[in-house]
Amino acid sequence: MRERPAEEASGTSRRNFMIRFGVLLNVVGASMLGLPILGYLVAPLRRRAEQAWIPLGRLADYPQGQTRFAEYANPFRVPWDGMTLKTPCWVRRKEDGSFQVFAINCAHLGCPVRWFQESRLFMCPCHGGVYYEDGSRASGPPPRGLFEYQVEVRGEELGVRGGHLPTLATPV
Amino acid sequence: MDRKEENPEPVEQAAAPGRLARIGAWFDLRLRISDQIWPELAHHVPRSSASFWYVFGSATLLCFMVQLVTGMCLGLVYSPSAAESWASLEYLNYQQPLGWFMRSLHYWGSNFMVALMTIHVVQVFLFGAYKYPRELTWVVGCFLFLLTLAMAFTGQVMRFDQDAYWGLGIGASIAGRFPFVGGIVVDLMLGGPIIGAPTLSRFFTLHVFLVPALLLLLIAVHLWLVLKVGINEWPMPGRLVTRERYLEEYHQLVAEDGEPFVPNGVQKDLVFSGLVMVALVSCAAVLGPAGPNGPPDPTLIDTVPRPDFWFLSLFAVFALLPAYLETPLILIAPPILFLLAALLPFYSGTGEKSWKVRPGAWILVVTVFVCLGTLTWLGIRSPWSPDMAAWSGTPTPVAMVRGRTPLELQGALIVQSKQCRTCHSLGGEGGERGPALDDVATRLTQDQLIHQVLQGGGNMPAYGKNLSPAQVKALVAFLGTMHPPGQLPARDASRVASSAAPVAGVSGGR
Amino acid sequence: MMRRNWRGAGRSVVCLALLWLGACADLPGRPDEADRPIRPNDVKSVDVLYGQNCAGCHGAEGRLGAARPLADPLYWAIVNDAEVQGVVARGVAGTAMPAFALSEGGTLSDAQIAILSDGLRTRWSGPDSAAPGLPTWAIQPGQNGKRGRVDQGAQVFASRCAVCHGGKGEGGIAPGSLVDASYLSLVSDQALRSAVLFGRTDLGMPDFRGGSGEKPLSPDEIADLVAWMASHRVAYPGRPYNESDAAGVGEDGP
Repeated sequence: MRERPAEEASGTSRRNFMIRFGVLLNVVGASMLGLPILGYLVAPLRRRAEQAWIPLGRLADYPQGQTRFAEYANPFRVPWDGMTLKTPCWVRRKEDGSFQVFAINCAHLGCPVRWFQESRLFMCPCHGGVYYEDGSRASGPPPRGLFEYQVEVRGEELGVRGGHLPTLATPV
Repeated sequence: MDRKEENPEPVEQAAAPGRLARIGAWFDLRLRISDQIWPELAHHVPRSSASFWYVFGSATLLCFMVQLVTGMCLGLVYSPSAAESWASLEYLNYQQPLGWFMRSLHYWGSNFMVALMTIHVVQVFLFGAYKYPRELTWVVGCFLFLLTLAMAFTGQVMRFDQDAYWGLGIGASIAGRFPFVGGIVVDLMLGGPIIGAPTLSRFFTLHVFLVPALLLLLIAVHLWLVLKVGINEWPMPGRLVTRERYLEEYHQLVAEDGEPFVPNGVQKDLVFSGLVMVALVSCAAVLGPAGPNGPPDPTLIDTVPRPDFWFLSLFAVFALLPAYLETPLILIAPPILFLLAALLPFYSGTGEKSWKVRPGAWILVVTVFVCLGTLTWLGIRSPWSPDMAAWSGTPTPVAMVRGRTPLELQGALIVQSKQCRTCHSLGGEGGERGPALDDVATRLTQDQLIHQVLQGGGNMPAYGKNLSPAQVKALVAFLGTMHPPGQLPARDASRVASSAAPVAGVSGGR
Repeated sequence: MMRRNWRGAGRSVVCLALLWLGACADLPGRPDEADRPIRPNDVKSVDVLYGQNCAGCHGAEGRLGAARPLADPLYWAIVNDAEVQGVVARGVAGTAMPAFALSEGGTLSDAQIAILSDGLRTRWSGPDSAAPGLPTWAIQPGQNGKRGRVDQGAQVFASRCAVCHGGKGEGGIAPGSLVDASYLSLVSDQALRSAVLFGRTDLGMPDFRGGSGEKPLSPDEIADLVAWMASHRVAYPGRPYNESDAAGVGEDGP
């Protein structure tokens, strides 16, 4: 409690130094701690670049003039994905033999659209978006047609590029 | 007050009052109950605020504590892994003793919490309790509201079933509408480019660690503010709040007409909390847990995703907004509305408190609830959703089959097989997206029917490429019979005049 | 006094707690095993499968639907399992009956189709199933070495069908034309044969055995009738207006 004036002065400057040094040390420590945490948190962004060729089965599995359900294993996987590993899509083989592969997700809010063979329409159970068989918007709230994968035919095998959840920001 | 602490001890142990008192004093010395905590609990509050109108905050807190306890219980069994969570929910429902009950309590606890919190907010708003000097209490409360809704949303994901899976898809699709950063937001939300195991882990962390921690923190601040600023007095018309005199008036009121919060003020909170607990347990016991519905298998697309009750109004908004308004409104309106609400005390911080002389407050509350109620009701019915199973599962009404010609029966078959009933109802059954077809012949002439079917329009897809001329003819022949017995079908006057005969094709005679 | 009160209270609390725990085993909110979600392709109940996939067209009770009644013992007597399953799996070309098998883009597994066909046969078979000498269902190409004969069919129609359907099939007691080009283009020959074979007993049309006291149609007569009706098919059916209306308009076929 009792302090002599001289010591008080030097104590003040020492305290000032200690406080500044302490703050500096903490800033350094916090960034050494925080940057890896931040990097860890944004790690999912780094996987975006990997677009994979995904096999969808043999060409002969898809009759001409028909649209068929297909599923593939999501290329961005972890071992404990379980059922969510599977990703569905719609494969349309046109009369001329060429392919269109649509994402299952409605362009409106991502609900699973269903193909109705008889009326040749895709319909969404959430808000009633409807698409024609070529994926173009027919009616309802979707702002665009169905998301379409880039199709590649390798030999007798059909494949698509993609694998991430299509949204308006990153349509396949 | 030492005596009070010991009250729960049975009386027959009165043989050792000295020892008990000593133990009490030992703790008291360290915990500072008698000189630090007790005075806080016994602080005086306005007698007028010991009302049943003031019990909803404490009841919300009670629900939160129930959620903590039941949530921890569920955490003992639930597996937050995409591969196993659905199986663990099924295990809880059917194998783990009382597992279903714990799920039910947690589910109903969340419903009670949101409901009571909403009533609490409305009460605070109508009683003007957010005004000077309780602005910060209100702002913190607004964030508590938001966090509670966040708990409800992330909790829905914990019930990792089909609704949860596609609900995540909906969330990601909304996030994907952000300009420029949409893709980044989606990836951060899902923990990767697609819904999978990292997504569930993320939401688990939010639901179990981050949001509850923030809730606890903000609840502490909220309570601290209630203690330090004082509970709002019963508002009286004409007693205006001014920055200059309010505190003085409040202290005077408490001094003249106050009573200790414990035990006087807390009585009604206690009674109501007990009631809430009994009601909560009864609901849980009688109504049971929600779901899980089908497994979160994305290839099972025979599903009709629906959000939980509190988000149905939002679900309805998405269906009803015109496309060009959707993105701006979804992204801009919520933050603006939240800011408007949170900053309320900064533009309406003084003046009248009483709801009796604030008709605007009433009108706002009624408007908001009518809107939310209507939207929720619409969300439950969701007339905009196609009835995906109607075409093969909902029979054509027998009265529309009897007495029809072969061609008309083919038309009836087309209505079923071409999935018309996905959107149009017959005899009150089928989709409600388009108009009911029961009396369509009184509204549209044959030509108009053909035009509508072929070209679509008015939110109906064009069927021109999907129907052969013969199919159109059969369909229109059938639809031409869709008029009440006493009412003639619509006819094109010009064609009637030119042919001087009833329009051909509409078969009458039944 | 005090003591007893405490004991009593304690006892009742314990009793209540036990009651409560006991009751929990059987509370109304407890999830029912029967409501457990199952995958769509694991559904094995005939009622559910029929209700979801067939009732829309064939009627809730298998009759009085837009499509042919299935609650018809004669149908199950004539059509065999392979034929029923084939119809369900691949649909019927040229009619509104769609394909339901997964392999054809439908939603039902082969096992489910078999369950459906077995279940419906059990439900709707009748004494007819034992009757000998019933005609076959399917039109076999080259059956009896010939397709039906149109002129013979016209005679059969005049003698057996005209009472209800009018002399030329234009409609009578039974409303509507049987030889309408649009109608004929929407039904296959097989469907016409089914109509002759099974009638629509739910709507008052008798099957091939006719009304009481009548002689059943012979296989040849059935084939002839189908041939006669099919002979009314036209190249471009379904123009929106009748010929008289369209006369003034240019004849532009589709």
